[in-house]
Amino acid sequence: MKRLTRFLTGPLGAVLLIVVLMSLAMVVAGVSPLDGFSALITGALGGRNEIGETLVATTALLFPALGICLAFRAGLFNIGAEGQLLIGALCAGALGAAFTIPGPLGIVLLLLAGALGGGFWGAIAGWMKARFDANEIIATLMLNFVAAYFALELVSGPLKGPLAAGAETAWLDPKYWLPTLLPGTRLSIALLLALALAIFLQWVLTRTVFGYDLRASGEAPEAARRSGINIARLTWLALTLSGAIAGLGGATIVLGELHRFNTQLSPGYGFTAIAVALVGDLQPLWICLAAFGFGILESGGLAMQASAQVPKDAIHVIEGLIIFVLAARRYVATRVEGGPV
Amino acid sequence: MMVTREAALSLRGIRKEFPGVVAVDGVDLDLYPGEIHALVGENGAGKSTLSAIAFGELQPDAGEIVARGTVGLVHQHFELIGRLRVWQNVLLGREPRRGWKIDQAAARARVLEIAASNGLEIDPDAFVETLPIGVQQRVELLRELDRDPAVLLLDEPTAALAPAEIERFFTTIVALAARGTAIMIVTHKLQEVIAYADRVTVMRHGKIVARALTRETSIEAIARAMVGGEVPAVVERVETRLVPSLRVEGLQAGSGGTRLNGFALDVRGGEIVGIAGVEGNGQTTLADALAGMCTYTGTIERRGTLGIIPQDRHLEALVMNWSLIDNTLLGRQHRKAARRGFTLDFARAQRDAETIRERFDVRAATLNVTVRTLSGGNQQKLVVGRALIDDPDLVLAYNPTRGIDVGAAALVQSRLMEARNRGAGVLLISFELDEILALADRVIVMYRGAALGSFDRAHLDRAEIGRLMAGSL
Repeated sequence: MKRLTRFLTGPLGAVLLIVVLMSLAMVVAGVSPLDGFSALITGALGGRNEIGETLVATTALLFPALGICLAFRAGLFNIGAEGQLLIGALCAGALGAAFTIPGPLGIVLLLLAGALGGGFWGAIAGWMKARFDANEIIATLMLNFVAAYFALELVSGPLKGPLAAGAETAWLDPKYWLPTLLPGTRLSIALLLALALAIFLQWVLTRTVFGYDLRASGEAPEAARRSGINIARLTWLALTLSGAIAGLGGATIVLGELHRFNTQLSPGYGFTAIAVALVGDLQPLWICLAAFGFGILESGGLAMQASAQVPKDAIHVIEGLIIFVLAARRYVATRVEGGPV
Repeated sequence: MMVTREAALSLRGIRKEFPGVVAVDGVDLDLYPGEIHALVGENGAGKSTLSAIAFGELQPDAGEIVARGTVGLVHQHFELIGRLRVWQNVLLGREPRRGWKIDQAAARARVLEIAASNGLEIDPDAFVETLPIGVQQRVELLRELDRDPAVLLLDEPTAALAPAEIERFFTTIVALAARGTAIMIVTHKLQEVIAYADRVTVMRHGKIVARALTRETSIEAIARAMVGGEVPAVVERVETRLVPSLRVEGLQAGSGGTRLNGFALDVRGGEIVGIAGVEGNGQTTLADALAGMCTYTGTIERRGTLGIIPQDRHLEALVMNWSLIDNTLLGRQHRKAARRGFTLDFARAQRDAETIRERFDVRAATLNVTVRTLSGGNQQKLVVGRALIDDPDLVLAYNPTRGIDVGAAALVQSRLMEARNRGAGVLLISFELDEILALADRVIVMYRGAALGSFDRAHLDRAEIGRLMAGSL
């Protein structure tokens, strides 16, 4: 019995449980699990184009997940990555459509604008928390709505592209487009940028004084305060950087993938990224792997819908199940091993 | 008083295992009506587990419990609701009713009646959070007495009480026993065991290692049984040259009963200054002001470096999920020496952790295990070691031996004495009067945020200090 629970609470057991639960979800949706899985895998990894789309989704999830990781490690529940990503994308898209800056400098400036925009959006919540002790969960959540309607308002009116049909800006000059990484697909070098950022963040968190202070504040706020850490400063700094990373991600979607800002550019990346960050155990390098896994689900889910008639929403059921299994795993593990839950 | 009636509570062959440790290992214990029974032992000896089993809070893995009547338990950390009134706390869940409403008049009368019959004074309408610790304990006691227990278990009942309150508390307890209640006191204050208990049972490593009638034993014998050998001695005090180290003048900080209003204090290098006082008389405000953790007005002048031993190791001093190495850096991470380029110098931190482990006898499997897995005594030794490793000029120690076993406490006290002997100033704030009397070169009594008196080591007067601690001049 004990060996069985130990196996089920191990990583292999978690994967097995997830597969079983996914199969159940497919059966409920009226599809043979075998068909469902094969559609999912071929849809996500079956060819160059499929792999490209999976990695595009991976990249789009990885940036906000890294931002969320930074805030969560500081004990700050930033669930506003969606809004921060949108504002970052808006800044990059609007400036790119409005100004022409020569050379690769333009790309760097637009990415920077995205980071600044997202950072500003995170800083608002950080300031409210540090100054008034406002709950950051509520603040960041509500700022998502402010961001969405603010962006919609702008691109429906003043920033709307002259030829645009929907709520979007004009197309960017192709010299702002990020270079393609995998020829023939929409995958840009944004993926490399995200991976480099993950490595950098892993180093910052584990090796630097800032990372140490940040982790201390997240794990034991009172002990952190007594160790000489300025908690208020760290709070707004962490939320600003967290937003900046999500905003940078938004800018890479505009520059690398859509080449314009569109209010529909994120199908909830900023929310799925919370799961990605948690599944990745809030470790930047593991988050890369988790983002790839969720990228497979995101892009394979579309194919599954087309070929195996599984509704795409089933993918969200599956994502929910994964989080459930991992959370349960941690809980059961502590129950089995003993010690404080 | 020994009685030879049937036991009110009898435990037979009790065993309780937690992952990796046998907390209680085959214990037999009888409590008789009318006796006061002391249960003593070092931290982790199994006292708390045994009382939780006796109370019915924990299920034993093996063994038999026979109780004749209800069993009451007064917790060390009171389980009261501060925002409710005294009568609401006492009768919580057993309120007298009239129809669907609580009969408040009957409730008040009932609380006053239990209080009067036990010689306790109480205002049933006071809000619990406004009451001093000693009175809160009375509320907790009344709550148990309302259930008319045949057995009453008291977990460290006098830990937060002033000497005068302690005497008053035991008057109540002795009267209660005289009327036939079986009483078990879990404590580490051996003077109280000798003074008030009839029998004493000593536990070590989950087993009972000694049983005695208190009139036939001594504090020294009980302590030896607890430790399982001789109690380690504290390092000797040596002659030192006193140099200015800390000067506090006109210190104003905090609010309410713990407010400091013009507090003044001098600590010189080469001496230990002890702040004696009952918990909740401004000690925390003073410690926070000195550590720069709260706003204050007035003068705090300090020479040289500072090492701090905070009072709550779990909350204020350690990151429980971190390793010993990472915790060794906490509070020192902003110093130049802690860094190498952009990164923290973890190699150096590891060497420091190793030094602390050796010098302070921190028992850990490796330096990479989380401090959560260490016992309280070893956690505290790590905290003390970290505060002392850089040889600070001033040490601020707030209850440095609270809740740790005799051996660990002696080691901590020795290291503090050594810091003093090498010329550091030590400010020792402690709720344990005995610790202060043993270590301090000078004692200051703190009461309601003010210094009530100052005593040199040559003129220590325990009775006088006790009186001042209770606020009588």
